[in-house]
Amino acid sequence: MSAVVSPIREPLITGRKSYHDITEDICAPSERAPSLTWVFAFIVAVTLLGFGVFSILWTIWFGIGSWNLNRTIGWGWDITNFVWWVGIGHAGTLISAILLLFRQKWRTGVNRAAEAMTIFAVICAALFPGIHVGRMWVIFFFFPVPNTRGPLWVNFNSPLLWDLFAISTYFTVSLLFWYTGLVPDFATLRDRASGLRKKFYNFLSFGWTGSAKHWSRFESLSLILAGLATPLVLSVHTIVSFDFATSVIPGWHTTIFPPYFVAGAIFSGFAMVQTLMLITRKVLKLEDYITLQHIESMNKVILLTGTMVGVAYLTELFIAWYSGYVYEQFAFLNRAFGVYWWAYFAMMTCNVLSPQIFWFKKMRRSIFVTFVMSIFVNIGMWFERFVIIATTLARDYLPSSWSYYTPTWVEIGIYLGTFGIFFTFYLLFTRIAPVVAIAEVKSILKSSGDQYIEEHEKHYQKAIDNKVKQH
Amino acid sequence: MKQFEISSKQKSVLFGFMGVGLLCLIITFFIDDAYRPRFWSNFLINSVFFTGISFIALFILCAKFIAYSGWQTVFKRLWEAYTQFLIVGLILMAIIIVGLFGGFHHLYHWNDAASLASDTLLQGKSGFLNAGVYTVLTLGIVGVWYFFARKIRALSISEDGQTTFSRITHQKLKKWSAGFLPIGGFTSAALVWLWIMSVDAHWYSTLYAWYVTASWLVSMLALTVLLLHYFKTLGYFEYVTVDHFHDLGKYIFGFSIFWTYLWFSQFMLIWYGNVGEETIYFKTRQDLYPALFYGILIINFVLPFFILLRNDTKRKTGTMVAASVIVFIGHWLDFFLMIKPGVLHTYHEVAGGGHGHASMNADQSMTAKLISDAGAHGAEHASTFQMGFTIPGFLEFGTFLGFLGLFLYFVFIQLGKANLVPKGDPYLGESMNHHV
Repeated sequence: MSAVVSPIREPLITGRKSYHDITEDICAPSERAPSLTWVFAFIVAVTLLGFGVFSILWTIWFGIGSWNLNRTIGWGWDITNFVWWVGIGHAGTLISAILLLFRQKWRTGVNRAAEAMTIFAVICAALFPGIHVGRMWVIFFFFPVPNTRGPLWVNFNSPLLWDLFAISTYFTVSLLFWYTGLVPDFATLRDRASGLRKKFYNFLSFGWTGSAKHWSRFESLSLILAGLATPLVLSVHTIVSFDFATSVIPGWHTTIFPPYFVAGAIFSGFAMVQTLMLITRKVLKLEDYITLQHIESMNKVILLTGTMVGVAYLTELFIAWYSGYVYEQFAFLNRAFGVYWWAYFAMMTCNVLSPQIFWFKKMRRSIFVTFVMSIFVNIGMWFERFVIIATTLARDYLPSSWSYYTPTWVEIGIYLGTFGIFFTFYLLFTRIAPVVAIAEVKSILKSSGDQYIEEHEKHYQKAIDNKVKQH
Repeated sequence: MKQFEISSKQKSVLFGFMGVGLLCLIITFFIDDAYRPRFWSNFLINSVFFTGISFIALFILCAKFIAYSGWQTVFKRLWEAYTQFLIVGLILMAIIIVGLFGGFHHLYHWNDAASLASDTLLQGKSGFLNAGVYTVLTLGIVGVWYFFARKIRALSISEDGQTTFSRITHQKLKKWSAGFLPIGGFTSAALVWLWIMSVDAHWYSTLYAWYVTASWLVSMLALTVLLLHYFKTLGYFEYVTVDHFHDLGKYIFGFSIFWTYLWFSQFMLIWYGNVGEETIYFKTRQDLYPALFYGILIINFVLPFFILLRNDTKRKTGTMVAASVIVFIGHWLDFFLMIKPGVLHTYHEVAGGGHGHASMNADQSMTAKLISDAGAHGAEHASTFQMGFTIPGFLEFGTFLGFLGLFLYFVFIQLGKANLVPKGDPYLGESMNHHV
């Protein structure tokens, strides 16, 4: 990292923090008793989780027939939710790996929570293919292991199987990446704790001592994992898009799907990070570490990816017309003006039109607007998947089999249940681990702390002049 | 801080390049068949390639301004100079347009009245694929790009005069850049469809525009590495260090993989879907252009991947220059393969008087034509090989050299018009002290 910092850059740590202040501020939430808000939120989350488990058991007991899937719509809320959660699980690793490669310092404030969120979102996503098979007890058929089933072997030609590999690999690497970053921070917590708590964090921190050797290995491992994670982030949603695009169904079979799904995933992932961070920073009093500057940067990413998704929507529409292929043309006409027109307009409004307000700096820096927008984007991205899946399947080649689909309470229950899983994990995470990466934030203090920004101003011109004199 | 001035030696070399290019174009024109498909397709490939490089330079500059990126500041004048080539690109594309109206070439199947009359698919597309839309969008969009390129360069240069850096000017620069990004993003897709995708008028792919843009981007980065190395040997760009090259190397490495990702996504989905209307594009290329089809994957992916994978190769002149030369030529060949098969096919359709079913009998009509050609040229036996189409010949490389000379000459002139070191840029200090 360059030691010379342009004074034009805004501080990323405010409140004139010292290294000690950072440790105190970030460790504090896990060292005090949970607040009433936390307890209340936790009860709500666990209740939702319980309802989800009940709905899943209902599904297993009565079978997939308890869902409203019908003759052409074999994929409904389940796959919509699956793709939605996988998409949300993109922001964490994007922030840790890709923003690390691009040396974006603002990632340090949000990477820890975003990575945690990634892992929880992927767990929620993985649930759906599992229960969608109907007979959960033969789920091990998914795995290409030696068996006595004869010809009942996994189909390597199927993108659904590639999905299994992609997501499990992604999950493993994300988990390792997240945990690697946590090790020094757990050690910090350990050093401040006593009794059982000390033992607990001692176990979690793998005996970290903070020696130079440890840091050196830590850095190498982080870099290797970042290198592995970067192609993985792209691969996961690319392969999810293959689930659709390898088919020859009009509206699904289109080559732009891979990059456009990835852009959409980053879009929704950042929206979810915003939703969580806005609450977290307020409740845990971390406003000095997750500043308006962080929020503005994330809003810019949302604007960028939202517009990319917009370009892709319009490209699809245009090429559908351009192709001269009547089924393709009908598929897109049907999306916009067919029976599910309301879903299409919800998608367009939430994903493409509404993020455009982030062209205004005032909006990007407004906490209220950001929060509302983050919810909007998540609604929009859910509808995007619903539009792709349900709208397309509701109208196939045979008009006699055209149908309509609405979910049953069981399907809605499972979806609510995933929120339960997600928030239960997230709430536990905020109690156990530091939600901001302590060591990483410390590493940018001298370049991005507010008291140092003023110092940079004085030395900056000198740094230029010195360099000029050398030549 | 040396002021750049084009030397007489550079001038004579670049004029030499341009002379070779012009000579090659003239020779191609006279040895070419009726309708001159080889001549015009060579012209189109190079015009599109270099116009695209200057467009993508503008796009990346804008992206960097709004992303608070500082490291590129010491050489950003080079990218600014690239963007000014857009005006030349506009003129080059105008020549194609004149040919479109004058009927001098048959680059585009949709522009042939006889084909259009008998082809329902082309009729369906004629609302977009016609000479009028082509002209208006080409001139309008490249014009708008050039307007932004001028504006952004002017703002950037106006920072130089200020003793301390001006936040206001920089703020303006960011606003104009932010404005260009969506405009550039949307309009470049339209031009890619018109200029390149419509060469294969029946075929379509939604990913195509992004794929072409990625190809431009890698070419632009490779050319930047080559020119910076050259300028450093002359004593210019003294603040560009090995760390900047390291980062450019990462870009070439990363975006080469990105290009391959898009290539694979497009190919795999079409291959897997196995819809005849779509697979014809790759089928033609695999069967009749195998050297290029497989070759560009090796040149644009395998070689840069393995050469630039290691840390140290991105910091060494030899490996960086080698990788840059490889991918620069590789992406030019990519454009060659995008454009040539479609032009040849159209030529056979138009010249051979084919009626409809164009995509179905490509092989037969091509073979028939080649047999007659081979007979005329006194060859022993016919093959599907056709110089200047199946692979680029000396004439193609000569033409490429000519356009490269034109591009470089223009860039050199532009470089001489401003300070090489942007004195007023707020990120200059960061960029000078850049360490990877």
